[in-house]
Amino acid sequence: MKKDLNFGRTELPPELQQTVRRAIRLEWFTIGYLVVTVSLIAAVMGNSQAMRAAWVEDMLALIPPIAFLVAVAIIKKPPTRRRPYGQHRAVGVGHLISAAALLVMGSLLILESAIGLVKGEHPPIGTFHLFGHTLWQGWFMIVVMLLLIPVPVILGRMKIKLAGALHDKVLYADADMLKADWRTSLGTAVGVAGVGFGLWWFDAAAAIFVGLSVVKDGVSNMSVAVTDLTDSRARTIEGNAPHPLIMAVENYARGLEWVQDAGARVRDQGHVFHTELFIVPKDGASLTLGQLQELRAGIVEMDWKLADVVVAPVATLPAEVHIGT
Amino acid sequence: MAVAALTLMGCTSSGYPADPERTLDEVSGSTLRVGIVHHPPHVDATGPAPSGTEVELIEGFADRIDADVEWTVAGEEAVMTAIEEGDLHLGAGGFTTDTPWSTHAAITRSYVERAAPDGTVTEFVLAAPMGENQFLTTLEAYLDESSPEPQ
Repeated sequence: MKKDLNFGRTELPPELQQTVRRAIRLEWFTIGYLVVTVSLIAAVMGNSQAMRAAWVEDMLALIPPIAFLVAVAIIKKPPTRRRPYGQHRAVGVGHLISAAALLVMGSLLILESAIGLVKGEHPPIGTFHLFGHTLWQGWFMIVVMLLLIPVPVILGRMKIKLAGALHDKVLYADADMLKADWRTSLGTAVGVAGVGFGLWWFDAAAAIFVGLSVVKDGVSNMSVAVTDLTDSRARTIEGNAPHPLIMAVENYARGLEWVQDAGARVRDQGHVFHTELFIVPKDGASLTLGQLQELRAGIVEMDWKLADVVVAPVATLPAEVHIGT
Repeated sequence: MAVAALTLMGCTSSGYPADPERTLDEVSGSTLRVGIVHHPPHVDATGPAPSGTEVELIEGFADRIDADVEWTVAGEEAVMTAIEEGDLHLGAGGFTTDTPWSTHAAITRSYVERAAPDGTVTEFVLAAPMGENQFLTTLEAYLDESSPEPQ
């Protein structure tokens, strides 16, 4: 019998625990894969700015899997007096750190390459001496970059499914980046091939292209991480719509005969939600502790993400809660 | 088959990789302008004509591409700056892989390494123009062939 793998006090259904285990395995595999690619690129990169950019990108790609593994280890701990909301925010902190690293490194790559471009730096790419043959190093760069195209795409597709099931934004961001990684690999190969044709600026141009993709990842991740850490309304994993559970919670409460109106304030703690449900009881309805407990239990049963629920009876709904259609 | 493919990839007369400034085309059958720094036994610039192991090495390369060598004796900074500005095609003077001039000139792979009595290994290199990759590739292929010890 395997040890239960939970997110703090939130008990995960067995199939979701399987999903977490699969995600952990995938992240370890990703780290192993990236260590291999980083070494491969380092072995052939020479003086190519584009190869250096690809190398930095793969180094940065190590951060999200590490952040995920650290977060999963931390959020196992249940809430305490000192940390009454649990440890779930570890996910958001990891996410923010990854985003900041992407943003800074991407900007540096662009800046460096742009300076090289303006100064007209011609990248020297020499040869390797292998098995009695002297071969242009550019061929090795191109072959390595082409070899690195397929695996990230497959890994990204596998992870994105798990990320959706776990409502894990770090995993989602990681998967999203991996899915787009083939473009930078191909771009780098094209950059080196261009240098081979005597077009020296191809190398810096490819490096800028890689840098732009890193910055784009940084900006989108930063925005999602900051939005969640600053208690915005919970959104779907893609981040483009309010989470349907908010509406579901409100509708459930409104469906009870003693409830006149209900509105919920739901924030994303990282995987799990923190729900504050305000209810306006019907005129003359007698409100008992049993009814409130029943309402709370009904919501907790709706979805594993809804373990932390507070129900507050009020005379009128606060203006800032989502009050339905 | 694999060897044929590799040989094809190593073939530099095809113009791939190419020189953005056409250095190899320019010097082949013409004049190879070489800057040298006095540094025996690699380069001895005291006699009427330069001598030394690197001078011989470069004369062999010039033969290979059918070029005459025009020697310019100067200090290391002057040689490296002239290569960067395109006034010289090649620089020599006992430069090593630790040269601080790698932002001004393309440093070749080491053509030879020498161990000092205390065990430290020094690897010697030549300096070529930045990004002239056909020239650099041709030069390194020559260095590999004429290297006293395989690298």
